[in-house]
Amino acid sequence: MFDLLAQVPPKVNFWSAAPNTSALYGKVFLAFMLGVGFVFLCMNLPTRYRRTLISVLTFVAGLFFVLSFVWPKAEGRAPDTLPNGVVESVAWWLQDATGPVSGMTSTLTAFLLGLGAFSMLRVHIGRLVKQQKDWGFSLVLLISMFVMMIIGYWDWRTVNFTMKETNFNNPDNWIGITYAKDLVFDGILQKMDAAMFSIIAFYIMSAAYRAFRIRSVEATVLLVSALIVMMSLLALGDLMSSKFIGMFTHGDKSHFMANFTLSEIYGFIRAAFQTPSIRAIDFGIGVGALAMGLRLWLSLDKTGGTN
Amino acid sequence: MLDLIAQADRPPVVGTQYYDAGKVMMLFTFMIVFFLLLNIFRAGKNKDLYIRRIAGLNAIDEAIGRATEMGKPVLMVPGLGALNAISMQALNIFGYVTRTAARFANPIRLCCGEPAVFTVAQEIIRDVYQSEGVPERYEPDSVRFLSDRQFAFAASVSGIILREQTAATFFMGEFFAESLIFAETANSVGAIQVASSTEITQTPFFIAACDYVLIGEEFYAASAYLTRQPVLVGSLIGQDWTKLAFMLFIVMGTVMNTMQLRSKATEAVDGFGERTPLTEDRLVLPNETTMGRIFGPAKPNPATMKPREADPEAAAPEGGSQ
Repeated sequence: MFDLLAQVPPKVNFWSAAPNTSALYGKVFLAFMLGVGFVFLCMNLPTRYRRTLISVLTFVAGLFFVLSFVWPKAEGRAPDTLPNGVVESVAWWLQDATGPVSGMTSTLTAFLLGLGAFSMLRVHIGRLVKQQKDWGFSLVLLISMFVMMIIGYWDWRTVNFTMKETNFNNPDNWIGITYAKDLVFDGILQKMDAAMFSIIAFYIMSAAYRAFRIRSVEATVLLVSALIVMMSLLALGDLMSSKFIGMFTHGDKSHFMANFTLSEIYGFIRAAFQTPSIRAIDFGIGVGALAMGLRLWLSLDKTGGTN
Repeated sequence: MLDLIAQADRPPVVGTQYYDAGKVMMLFTFMIVFFLLLNIFRAGKNKDLYIRRIAGLNAIDEAIGRATEMGKPVLMVPGLGALNAISMQALNIFGYVTRTAARFANPIRLCCGEPAVFTVAQEIIRDVYQSEGVPERYEPDSVRFLSDRQFAFAASVSGIILREQTAATFFMGEFFAESLIFAETANSVGAIQVASSTEITQTPFFIAACDYVLIGEEFYAASAYLTRQPVLVGSLIGQDWTKLAFMLFIVMGTVMNTMQLRSKATEAVDGFGERTPLTEDRLVLPNETTMGRIFGPAKPNPATMKPREADPEAAAPEGGSQ
């Protein structure tokens, strides 16, 4: 129908082959059979062996990324040369494999997106059919979803295949479907996204009001720090504090009082409290993520009903 | 240790086409892994390990109890992130929340913005109901995929909070600009909120708007705290060992860098890690200190590389209709 793979640059390596060759078709067939075989195996294995199989696969998949991280990286690789020795061969193989392995993740995600869409359709069609409360919203959602899908696909097909030669970047060349896509995507969806984003400004105000109410010592410290930071970022606030401190320092920047302008205090708060705190939290998160990743990789973590 | 970095003491070896990816940093990673595995092994033998009190996690039962009294659902959102360690940790916590909710026959809503997370969440939640012996209480529609667009997801979750008047909300995982929309909407319906985000920029918003917040690593400590599984508690102790090592290295690095930057240089080090004696007097530059060389590893000099042989097949590829 369409040459859907035309956008993929042809690369000849362990994971791929030149276009229209028996090697390429052979590899595609082998990959397909492996996938079917794996699904068949998963469906027919007893639960306890299935867990073992998943653990082994998780380990192998994780090992690839661990090796990609620890294996020496090849320098100055050219497409028409051979690797120097085993270490470099493995490095090249890992480098070549990164794209296809990431592609597998994308393929899996595409299937899972179908499952997600199915879940959404089941919830909303069910609500519509049973005329449950707020079924009107479900109707709007379903209509919007299908209109967006049809217009999106039609536009993609027109721009990339049926009218490939036309320059649609120039609005003078737009046709009906381009206008429709512009209306539903740029004119409605993007604008509604922007509207949701702009609501945050009001939420920040209400959240700040609650956070800054003086209820405890911590809230007071928070309030004072926030006031200093906000005032220092305002040109007028900074100017006033500089003028006031200037009365003591008389323009001498090495004067002790020169440390007490709003911008200096803000700099101190940022350098002495904010940045170290963020770094410390980041360290904790990083180590926690590594520990979690290690437990998942080695299948040490028991989730869900096995807790 | 210094010998690991000071490769330039040795003559460059012909054929080393692999740049130093930071051996010390890699060594550090292996050290962390060793700490974690050692403590997981140790914790298997010792069941009575101490974890400090975490208020946000103690509040989980309180929040679910309140939702049960009010007869309203518990809402859980694992963030917008892809299926990774963060979303898996969020789902682990939600497994615990669901278990408690299942015991009280309290309805739950788990909203996902990522199809892969949605699929795994469905499995975990179904598994929890089955393991509690109440599979009939599991509603397939309680775990929902809403949208993978950030603000469409934010609007959907806010809609569910407002329409269903959720009594307890749990926001845990990777959140971005939508975090405050969730937290403020939940606050407007009077829900108890327990939140945690691994995104540093969103944590202040949660602190300002939510009742309880798990900050930073507390998020990863949650499943150990809630389940007391030896593997998880051991892993937590391994993380503490790692942090102690971090502190030690930070102090050592600060002292070492301060001393080196104040000392006189005897030789210059170029980008390839090669040293040449200095004739003029100058202080050591930041890239010449031990720390500078750890964090800015030297690349091999192209002049010393062993040339590669030409690939005979590269000239005439099979097929060739490119």
